This record gives sequence, structure tokens and C-alpha cells, in this order.
Amino acid sequence: MIENVAAARPSIDEHPDMTQAGRRVAPASARGGPTFGRVLAAERIKLTSVSSTGWIAAGTVVAAVTLAFGLSLFVRPGSATSGISLAVSGYLLAQLGMLVLGVLVGAGEFSTGMSATTFAAVPRRLPVLGAQVLLTALVALLTASVSLLASILVTSCARGSSGLALNVTDPETVRVAVGFVLFLTGLAVLGVGVGALLRQPGAALMAAVGLLLVADQLLAANPGYVADTVRAVLPAGGARMFADDAGLAALAAGPGPNFGAWGGGLVLAAWMVAALVAAGYRLRWRDVT
Amino acid sequence: MIMSSAPTGTTVAESVGAYSAPTLRRIVAAEWTKLLGLRSPIVIGLATVVGAGLLTYLSANASSGDPGFDPTAGLLDGMSVAFIGPLVLGVLVGTGEFSTGAFRSTFAAVPRRLPVLAAQAIVTAGFVFLMAVLAAGTSVLGILPAAASRNITPDLFGDGTPQGLLGAVSFHVAMGLLGVAIGALLRRPVPALVTAIVLMLILPLVAVLAADLTTDPLAASRSGTVSAQTAAVNTVVTFTPIGAGSTLMAPGPSAEGGPDLGSWGALLVLAAWVALPLVPAAFRLRRRDLV
Repeated sequence: MIENVAAARPSIDEHPDMTQAGRRVAPASARGGPTFGRVLAAERIKLTSVSSTGWIAAGTVVAAVTLAFGLSLFVRPGSATSGISLAVSGYLLAQLGMLVLGVLVGAGEFSTGMSATTFAAVPRRLPVLGAQVLLTALVALLTASVSLLASILVTSCARGSSGLALNVTDPETVRVAVGFVLFLTGLAVLGVGVGALLRQPGAALMAAVGLLLVADQLLAANPGYVADTVRAVLPAGGARMFADDAGLAALAAGPGPNFGAWGGGLVLAAWMVAALVAAGYRLRWRDVT
Repeated sequence: MIMSSAPTGTTVAESVGAYSAPTLRRIVAAEWTKLLGLRSPIVIGLATVVGAGLLTYLSANASSGDPGFDPTAGLLDGMSVAFIGPLVLGVLVGTGEFSTGAFRSTFAAVPRRLPVLAAQAIVTAGFVFLMAVLAAGTSVLGILPAAASRNITPDLFGDGTPQGLLGAVSFHVAMGLLGVAIGALLRRPVPALVTAIVLMLILPLVAVLAADLTTDPLAASRSGTVSAQTAAVNTVVTFTPIGAGSTLMAPGPSAEGGPDLGSWGALLVLAAWVALPLVPAAFRLRRRDLV
């Protein structure tokens, strides 16, 4: 398309009346192609102009906070949990919200037919994936942070009566809180990768859920050296970032490898990178329709 | 369409009568063609059958070294997870019309609409039944190597094993129908899948977490009784689709403090879970706009 315009320019320039109109469409070389900033701005408009983004973010916060509050009703003084663990217990529902957010961003282009327009405008293609990852991570970061703060607030009553006070100078508390936000952000980015790789929202969602939830539950039901090792290197290993110290100690005492909390985070990061590299390869070298 | 194509002088009723309205049998045949005309049902079916056998094999092999190993005890380990296949298949059948635009032709051909939903339920139940019977077969194959390694001949006809297999097949069929109902109600694959996942995968985890919170590890070991809160959680779990399914597959009291529904009770609970989205889906289909 752009080449055609450039080729047609000399003939337009020859015609005096057409010169002004022809100048308005500057050649691609003069505009320098779509810069990353402009791709980012375009993706931001796409993300914020569909209502599902807002609903998913709000739904994730409400689901996480409601779940944390609901579970806080079960807490008794003898319960073997820490205050921050109770506050982050909403992750069970929030993880699904973040996966859906990412999958819809990654696969949305292709399920609506938007991809033809997008990649005609950005023929190098990869900047689009980069912009989608950045924006999704930002939305997920905000959603997770709001979920965390609201969950801490709604569980304060139950925590107060059970002696599960939060101490923000306690390293465990800080690690669990940061780990919770990073885990959810990582899942959203993983969702973008899987969505862009598989291009069908339903298939991508089931693949991500199978990898994250089903495989982990299955292996947890059959503990052993092999099962624990596989569990540690699946994306759900990232949940160790916000496991409490007692939970980490139990995992370390088990037969599986002991990566520690941040090692689990690295495992999730490796899955993110792998999904994005595969998606980037397909995007760059294969057909987009 | 019919009005415009009817020859002048004949009424609409006469021209419809000449066609003879679509019977349920023909609608079922049409839905069956739609189902088998796609690749995804075949892929999901194969994955479920192979997956159930493979998981049972792995699980049986992992526990074959235990003292007192009973191969039939782990017979349904695969099928108790493989219900995800029928569930996803059902969601795809329920939403397929609407996500592809095929609903325009379908409901022009069947203006009464509800027979289509009934036919989808029948076709899904039939397909899932075949899948589940084959999955039961691969599950039996899956325990044979572990049983042979211990020189045990698995007794497939005693100790509630046939009942458990039958329960697992019924559970899978119910999951397929639940998927159709959720799909037909929500009409879009992603919201329908999310609803199904929350109901079937996340809720059980929430229940485990809630039960953990109520259980004081020291008090439980001391008294040996179940606290009222734990009993309440387990009662709720018994009435979830997963709880009813595990009662079907392993008859008897499901969890500490939960009631014993029995096989028929569990079937009723599952039927109620199918009806819960199916009734509003039928209402929406019959009374509301299709797009």
C-alpha cells in the first residue's frame, strides 16, 4: 500500500492541482515509519476503548476482595496462617481474571479480524506485541495493587480479632505483598503470549488454565520426586513468590527442587519469555490472517 | 423468507405445511452433522480418552510400590480430572452457533428455537457418553501394567467398581450438558469458559482453603472431632458439581462432616446444576433476541 502511494507521487506532483493533496500524504520514509510511541498510543486506544478491559479489571478486584473477605470469616485464633497470606488469598480468582485479560489482548487482534489493519499499519509487527505486553502489564499491575490494598482493608476486621496483624516492616509481609502483585502481572503477560501464539481466545484460555491450574492440581494430588519437580517448573511455581514462610519451608522439606520464592518467580518469567518468543516468531515469520 | 417465496394465493400456513416443519429427529441429525463437521470435538474427544488412560496409568504406577496396593482404587484418577474435556466440548456446542454466526441459518430453519437447544443437549450427551465409555476403557487399560507388576488381577466386577465406572460416565455426561447450558446462556466462549472454570476448578480450591483455615491442626488431632465450620464447608462442597461427581465415582460419605447423598442424590444434585443455567438459557433463546 505505502509503496503504491510513493510510486504514484511523481505523477501527482506533475499535476499542479493535486500537489497540495499529494503532499498531505507524506511518504513513509519522511514519517520514519510508525514509532514505538505511536504503536503504544494505538494499542492504548484499543485497550481502553473496549468495555471488556474495564470489566475484567473491576471484576478481578471485586472477585479477589470478596474472596479474601469471605475466607477471612473462617479465620479463628488458632488458624495456621499469617495476616498477609489471608489478604492475598483472593489470588485464586484473580489469577483467572489476569489470564483472561492477557489472552483477550493477545488473541483479540486475530479473533476480530483487526489484525489485517494493525499489521498493515505496523508491517514490522513485533512492536505491536511489545506494546501489548507493556500495556497489559501496566493494567495488571494496577489491578493487582488495588486488589491487594482493598483486600488488606476488608480483612482487617477478621485479622484484628484473630491476632493476625500486618507489619509492613516484616520482610515476609513485604515479600508476600510484592510477590502477589508480580505473580498476577506475570500471568497477564503470559496470557498475552499464549493468546498471541494460539490466536483463538477460547483455545488460548484453556491452554493457559491447563498449564497453570489443572496440571498443578493434578501433580499436587500425586506428590513424589517427579511430580514435585514438574510442579516447581510449571508456571504455578510462580505462586511461591507469595507463599508464606511456613509454606516455603514445607516445600523446601519436600522431595522437589527448592528454588525459593524468587526462584519460583524466575520460573514464571521463563514461561512468559518462552510464550512471547514463540508468539513473536509466529507473528514475524508466519501469516497473520 | 417463507412469505416472499410462497406462491401467491397460498397462505403461510399452507406453505409451511407443505415443507413439513422440522422434526426433532431431523434437528438432532443436523446438530450431529455440525458437531462431527468440526475438528475441535474430535480433538477434545481424543484428548479426553487418551488423557484419562494416561493419567490413570501414571497414577497407578506411582502408587504401585505402596504396601496394600489396590489397582482398582485408582481406576478413576484419570476420569476425575478428564471431565474438563466434556465440559469444554459442551461450552463449544452451546456457544458455537453464536460465535460463528451460524445461528442465523439455524434459527431461520427452526423458528421455534427450543428444539435446537434440546438437540444440542442430546447430541452432546451422546457424544460425551461415547467419549466417557472409551475413557473408562483406557482407564482400565491404564491400571493393568501396575497390577501386573504386583501380580494382582484387578477385580473389575466387585467392590463397587462397576458402580464407580457408571458414576464416572454419568458425571462426564452431566459435565457436557452443564457446558451446553452455560454456553447457551452466555453465548460467548470466553465468558462461558471462565464461568465453567470458576465453578469446576476454582471453587474446590476455595473450599480447600476455607477448610484449612477452619482447621486448627492441634485441636483436630487432640479431639478427633470435626468442627462445626469444617462440617459446614464440607456440606457445601458435597453439593457442588465436583462434590456430587466424586460421590458418584466413589459412593459413600464424601468429606468429614458432609452429608451422604448416595448415587441417586448425587445425580439429582448434578441435574439441578445443569438445570440452573439451562432454564434461563431456554428462556433467553425463546423470548429474547438472538444477537
